[in-house]
Amino acid sequence: MLTKVLSVASLGLKTIPVEVEVNINKKGFPGFQIIGLGNKAVEEAKERVRTALVNSGISFPTAKIVVNLAPADVPKEGTCYDLPIALGILGALGLVKLPKKKVLFYGELSLDGSLRHTKGVFLLAITAREKGIKEVFIPYLSANEAAVVEGIKVFPVKTLRQLTAHFNGIEKISPWRFKKMEEEEVVSDFDFAEIIGQEQAKRALEIAAAGGHNVFMQGPPGAGKTMLARALPGILPPLSEEESLEVTKIYSLSGNIPPGGSLIRTRPFRAVHHTVSRVGLIGGGSQPHPGEISLAHSGVLFLDELPEFSRSVLEALRQPLEDGEVNIARAAGSVKFPARFMLVAAANPCPCGFLGDPYHQCRCSPRQIARYQNKLSGPLMDRIDIHLTLSPVKTKNLMGHQKAKGESSATIRRRVVKARQVQQKRFADLKIHSNAEMGNKEVKKFCPLTSEADALLHQAVANFHLSARSFFRLLKVARTIADLEGEEKITASCLAEALQYRFRFSSS
Amino acid sequence: MKGEASKEFPIMKTSWPIKVLTRKKKKFPSCLLSLSSPPDKLYYRGNWQSVLWERSLVVVGSRRITNYGMYVLEQFIPYLVSQGVTIISGFMYGVDTQAHRQCLQTGGKTVAVLGNGLEVIYPPENEKLYWQILKKGGVIVSEYPPSMKARLWTFPRRNRLMVALASLGVLVVEAGENSGSLVTARWAEKLKKPLFAVPGPINSSVSLGTNWLIKTGKAKMVTTPEEILGEKHKKDFSSQAKGSFSGYSPEEREILLLLAEEPLSLDEIAAALEKRIEEVSRQVSLLNLKGAIEEKGSRFWLKVSLEKNS
Repeated sequence: MLTKVLSVASLGLKTIPVEVEVNINKKGFPGFQIIGLGNKAVEEAKERVRTALVNSGISFPTAKIVVNLAPADVPKEGTCYDLPIALGILGALGLVKLPKKKVLFYGELSLDGSLRHTKGVFLLAITAREKGIKEVFIPYLSANEAAVVEGIKVFPVKTLRQLTAHFNGIEKISPWRFKKMEEEEVVSDFDFAEIIGQEQAKRALEIAAAGGHNVFMQGPPGAGKTMLARALPGILPPLSEEESLEVTKIYSLSGNIPPGGSLIRTRPFRAVHHTVSRVGLIGGGSQPHPGEISLAHSGVLFLDELPEFSRSVLEALRQPLEDGEVNIARAAGSVKFPARFMLVAAANPCPCGFLGDPYHQCRCSPRQIARYQNKLSGPLMDRIDIHLTLSPVKTKNLMGHQKAKGESSATIRRRVVKARQVQQKRFADLKIHSNAEMGNKEVKKFCPLTSEADALLHQAVANFHLSARSFFRLLKVARTIADLEGEEKITASCLAEALQYRFRFSSS
Repeated sequence: MKGEASKEFPIMKTSWPIKVLTRKKKKFPSCLLSLSSPPDKLYYRGNWQSVLWERSLVVVGSRRITNYGMYVLEQFIPYLVSQGVTIISGFMYGVDTQAHRQCLQTGGKTVAVLGNGLEVIYPPENEKLYWQILKKGGVIVSEYPPSMKARLWTFPRRNRLMVALASLGVLVVEAGENSGSLVTARWAEKLKKPLFAVPGPINSSVSLGTNWLIKTGKAKMVTTPEEILGEKHKKDFSSQAKGSFSGYSPEEREILLLLAEEPLSLDEIAAALEKRIEEVSRQVSLLNLKGAIEEKGSRFWLKVSLEKNS
């Protein structure tokens, strides 16, 4: 007997409906086959389904079972077909009355017949709404993730037994009611008030957070580069509704939403180790998966020890930095992942780290230093708005008498949020969200200068030999400073401050 | 940049052929004959004029030049060049390279004495500098056959040649504990040439050698280039003096006075003045644009002195 059950397959962030066809033929040589370009995880569904059914008290038929995942030419992966296959078999055996209307099934089976938290549930819910499908059956632990999407009924399934009982009218499963998560407190590893000294760096990060600017920090070990970066999430503005949905999609696809979790409300902060592969950072694979840059979408990508990253990995960053998305082309089709992130990079001034440090001697040869710094120069640095050089903090200042505690992250965050609101109003009709995303056209339109500032700008261009690129970057940073100050036009003092964060060639 | 230089390379090579001076030739510098083991042959490129050697000074120092070393060279070399002094140095990284560069920038002539053959450009990063020295009327000298590579022992021997060629003596700018510059200093002692050293901060590893030379009386301490040329030092503290900087706002003056004592980073200025970092960074930017201060490393250095303002 033949049954058909609906599920979905994901291709990047897009999903397509998949029909799971199950046929059980009592004649012929007994066996169990899954066709339709499934990967190893799909292939192994056979054993999971068989064992789960047996452990749920159903005698597995000795017959020729063929499962087809249609359309059969689209590659499929993952464990989400366990539930539809199991249900299809139950239907084909006549043990369950399958619903007449279109319903989606999705979820991984445990060997004991219960359902496990499965990734991609959020994407499934969105597909359901788009295709006008009213009901979805998903694992209990993933229910809250799907229930965010309005207009569909989410049935949380704990076990196979419960599902059969539901369809056979013995005991109905009640639809899940979305549980709003409590507004999460922004948690960062450090508060800005804890960081002693480095006032300039703190101010620079405030500007960066307010305008979404990329930041590069250079300084000897122990200057506090990593600590500053880790404190950054504490001053980032909250995600907007639209951003939150986008981030949740990516997190759902990559299985980064914990059981019971739902919408992502805080900006992602991804610290990537320098041994990361290109695919790990950018995304890819034969079935394209989002990389770290997409996981950092709308948030922060932190690359510590930047020169230690392999060159090909750094080169691959350039296009996404420019476009805010990454295109992964495969024979089966190309996939687009959003990747609009704020890059925070840190580096030592030389391989040993002590170049220019007044208290330690640098042990690197000039050639080593040149090679190290060469990796930093060029196109990548060209895409960074705020450049910082940190000096080590004297240990004597770390102990005991600090004059005044610095501002707390919460205070700074309030200013950042205010500046972001100004930008939201400014870019309401455009596709951009922050000052950092402005193109040259927008810079000309939205960065009016006072006459005093204009004179200063001319002077700066001549004296500091600013390139066209750094000229526009300077104006963008000045725009953000003006937004923080609540100025309509960019004043001379805003511009003067922005000058401190420009890129200096060959700092020796 | 590398491509550019190598494109230039073949033309330059033919326009600056390697010439040889033997001991018998007239041009052979007589000062070298007084050495206990004078070289048999001198290979050179460039325009060899006896004027070059009349007022010549060896400037050497650490391969690892600090901002302080840069500052010293910027203070000393322009004046020396204006007095017609030829700067001789060893074409190595750090102080040597910067001394050659600084000299060329101010329009002076400079001589590089190599520890390898003339066809070998070492360090390779200095290729551009090599041709520039020649273009600007300088000379590149070596006692080793053109294709010979540098060995560990060729550098100390090169130092003796350098010292012998200098008529005014040797200036050590920055030198570490076991620096090759101290070998040069020893040669100066042996050949009875005046030896000058610039004192450095006592916590700097690359000033240990220079300070030691001064402490032991081996070198004469100099703090201005005039002292090298034998002028008596006046008791004039004007460049370090505290005073008012006219033409600047009171806030700017505060910063200038602070920087007159020592170079500071933005954070340090803000902490010393107990001001907000935003405010300080704005004023520092403006001062930088006015040319009153300049940035090196992450610190700001005072550029104007009192004399220029009063």
